[in-house]
Amino acid sequence: MDKYYIKFILGNRLKLILNCFLIIFFLIIIRFFYIQILQNDYYSIQAFDNSIKVVPIAPARGLIFDRNNVIIADNKLSYSLEIFPENIENLSMIIARLKKIVRIKDEDIKKYKRIINNKQYSNSIPIKSNLTNKELASFVTSSYQFPNIELKENLKRFYPNGSLGVHFLGYINRISKKDLILLEKNGQKRNYIGTNYIGKAGIELQYEEELHGKSGFKKIEVNSIGKPLRTLQSLPAEEGNNINLTIDLKIQKIAENAFKNKKGALVAIDPKNGEVLAYVSMPTYNPGLFIDGISHVNWNKLNKSEDKPLLDRAINGLYPPGSTLKPFVAIAALENQIRMPPFKINDPGYFSINNSRRFRDWKIGGHGEVDIIKAIAVSCDTFFYGLAIELGIPKLNKALADFGFGKKTGVDLPNEKSGLLADAKWKKKKYNKEWYPGETAITGIGQGFTQVTMMQLALATSLIAFPNRSIVPHLKLNSQQLKQNINLASPVKVSNNTIAWVKEGMENVTKDGGTAAFIGKNIKYKIAAKTGTAQVFGLKDGEVYDEEKIPEKLKDHALFIAYAPAEDPKIALAIIVENGGHGGSVAGPIAKKIFDHYLISESH
Amino acid sequence: MNLNLIQNYIFRKIDRPIFWSLFLILVIGLINLTSANQQDVTNTLSQTINIIIGLTFFYLICNIQTRVILTFAPWVYLISIVLLIFVPFFGIESHGAKRWISLGIFNIQPSEILKLSLPLMLAWFYQKNTYRIDYKIHLLSGLLIVFPFYFILSQPDLGTSILLLWVGLIIIFLAGLPTKFLITSFFGALLASPFVWNSLLGYQKQRILSLLDPFSDPYGSGYHSIQSIIALGSGGMFGRGWLNGTQTSLDFLPETTTDFVFSVFSEEFGFFGVLAVIAIYIFIFYRCMWMTSKMQDNFSRLLSAGLTVSLFTGFIVNIAMISGLFPIVGVALPFFSYGGTSMVVSLVSLGIIINLYLNKTLIAN
Repeated sequence: MDKYYIKFILGNRLKLILNCFLIIFFLIIIRFFYIQILQNDYYSIQAFDNSIKVVPIAPARGLIFDRNNVIIADNKLSYSLEIFPENIENLSMIIARLKKIVRIKDEDIKKYKRIINNKQYSNSIPIKSNLTNKELASFVTSSYQFPNIELKENLKRFYPNGSLGVHFLGYINRISKKDLILLEKNGQKRNYIGTNYIGKAGIELQYEEELHGKSGFKKIEVNSIGKPLRTLQSLPAEEGNNINLTIDLKIQKIAENAFKNKKGALVAIDPKNGEVLAYVSMPTYNPGLFIDGISHVNWNKLNKSEDKPLLDRAINGLYPPGSTLKPFVAIAALENQIRMPPFKINDPGYFSINNSRRFRDWKIGGHGEVDIIKAIAVSCDTFFYGLAIELGIPKLNKALADFGFGKKTGVDLPNEKSGLLADAKWKKKKYNKEWYPGETAITGIGQGFTQVTMMQLALATSLIAFPNRSIVPHLKLNSQQLKQNINLASPVKVSNNTIAWVKEGMENVTKDGGTAAFIGKNIKYKIAAKTGTAQVFGLKDGEVYDEEKIPEKLKDHALFIAYAPAEDPKIALAIIVENGGHGGSVAGPIAKKIFDHYLISESH
Repeated sequence: MNLNLIQNYIFRKIDRPIFWSLFLILVIGLINLTSANQQDVTNTLSQTINIIIGLTFFYLICNIQTRVILTFAPWVYLISIVLLIFVPFFGIESHGAKRWISLGIFNIQPSEILKLSLPLMLAWFYQKNTYRIDYKIHLLSGLLIVFPFYFILSQPDLGTSILLLWVGLIIIFLAGLPTKFLITSFFGALLASPFVWNSLLGYQKQRILSLLDPFSDPYGSGYHSIQSIIALGSGGMFGRGWLNGTQTSLDFLPETTTDFVFSVFSEEFGFFGVLAVIAIYIFIFYRCMWMTSKMQDNFSRLLSAGLTVSLFTGFIVNIAMISGLFPIVGVALPFFSYGGTSMVVSLVSLGIIINLYLNKTLIAN
């Protein structure tokens, strides 16, 4: 091959390569121009998004105090080890390593998995909460071994009084999927982005919005593995409001202790303004169990217990009022000009309708001559059987409704029950059966279908003390919302005579001859009261109630309503002791302890 | 006056335009490397040492007789092949590939040396057979290429092996491979491509696929490509300033000192910075091609062209790769990326080209 021919080919082909390369260079420059100049805005945002993360700051939850600024719900600094589940490939290996320095129970792992299943946003999830100081120290020194685990410092709800007042206080728990749906509906989801907990019951639920506060945020620069480098911008969170309750924690404590191991409920109200001073439902449980998600074992224990500790007996426990209803039945009669003094009956110890069925008085042989005042003081059943028949259910129910029975009191707690005032129409609908006159009779002594809550009974008692005031029972001190509610509620309209007679009857209850006479002995103030005994199961005609022979859970409930001092009432209350037997002897002393403390120990 | 004399003496065997453009690139590269390495200057210092070693070789090569290069050419090839064969047995493994062998105080990368020794060998081979170039010679040349290609491919190092194959074929092409043959082999390659595709490893296929649409799998194989394009794009016209690129300083860019070193530069110095650097590269490229065209003999022309194509294919593939025009194949940017072997080889290549140009008449005579 000719040397010059090769040279010629080479020269040509070299030029081809040169030109090809130059074209490619040119294309690359166009490419850079496109990315760097034309797409600059787009990629600048991308670079920004890459490196900037917005981290929510959860607000500190508002504290809850009693009326004397004694703390009920506190926040405590706590340390937890948290994991971003997306970053974890081998959980069991990390846990195995972690176990060497920190105690991790199977329960903690279960809890972690449960939260993952309930997952809402990409928050980190605690694998171990409430580190002890020793665990904290050993984790900090070896944290380099755990790049995926974050040590988090957070304010945690703490209930320093344990189970005291748990039913009105309620508790908080981790936000569940259901809560999240609700928050989204209320447009609150954004505000909860950094929050892990939400009120689930009681005041914690009722005043969730106020207690929660407002989320803040922090814009931080992060590197490619998400490690925060510096804060660029931050908006601090707004702390939740602190709340003062009307509860007097000392009285609450005395009341709970007075119940000892008995089941029941108590509501004590300042009758002048409706402030709830004590709110007891026994038995109680520890709200702290719920804070990090209650374990299955504990939940089953609480939920399946025969004593039903989770039930809030004060507003959700429905009971027959028994004889505590009599003062209100009396008011109904007097307002309808029936059985007004000096009307009297002669009580043979029973009442019979058309000489067929007999309704027994609790006292065998009867009370002799009885007017309406004595009928309240001695709790004469015969008098009220007849009264109810004479008055009739519609008129009776109307008067009872005026005193708040059969409807919600409007107390500032979630899920209040409204109780029941039954009538023929209700029975027809419910059981498809006729209403019998006998049912009217027993309604007059608080048996039958009537069901009340202790909150209703306490409110009604307050209304006897101050019939012309409109009050709404409430637990939050100085509530604006409450003032509106009060304006809506109309005061009860009863004549002065009526109230005077009923008050006299109730005052006589604690005097000689009254059903709770022993309580009135040796005290410096006067108590107006009414005892009650509610049958858990009905006795057959002619059967005699014998307390000794009846099993504990079928024993009668003991009820007691009272206000004191009788001349200038400062406190009104309603008590039920489940299966406590007779009202005066079991529930009465509880009331007296509270009165003694409230009226004597503290000078109100 | 005196100084000028010394300067003239030093540069008497060096092409000044190339030297000063090169010098500029090296300095920019060093400045950029400091940012790429998060202001840690250890890499910058050791790269400076690499450059000093490389420039020493460059200077020596410029000053030796071309005959020496011709004489040593086959030996350099043989030694590098031997080193290449050693790699699977004595190699150092990193990122799942064996590419380096340890020589005590430093590691070398035989595949990089092949960028030098393969053009040397081919040019020498065609020089020896200047007057009887026919298809047999071309075929034998092909064998000389395929041999190292296979070894490097199996390291595995797809990028370098393809680059070598390309450079080898360019040399054969320049040596006068008949056009008929070219066309046939083009269609042959087209037919063979499905088989080549099947023989590729999974990650290699992924890389090629992710090129077609890097955003389809943003956290998988497309991640590096996307982060690099974001770096480029956020640089804008004038860049975000030296040490101020968030893509670099916050670790979003991978391999900032080697494969993606120019992404760092693009982010911090913007389009005009990029344009300036590319212009310098194009100038060097153009001058190398021009010098090649002035050469008289087969050895010089083929060697010079081969080395030029090798250097600038590396350059094109690298910046095409970081701008999303080419799959992420792991090709370093000559004179810019961190790496001793690559730097020395690139500088020596340039030194050889200058030597061949300044001695262009020697062999011919």
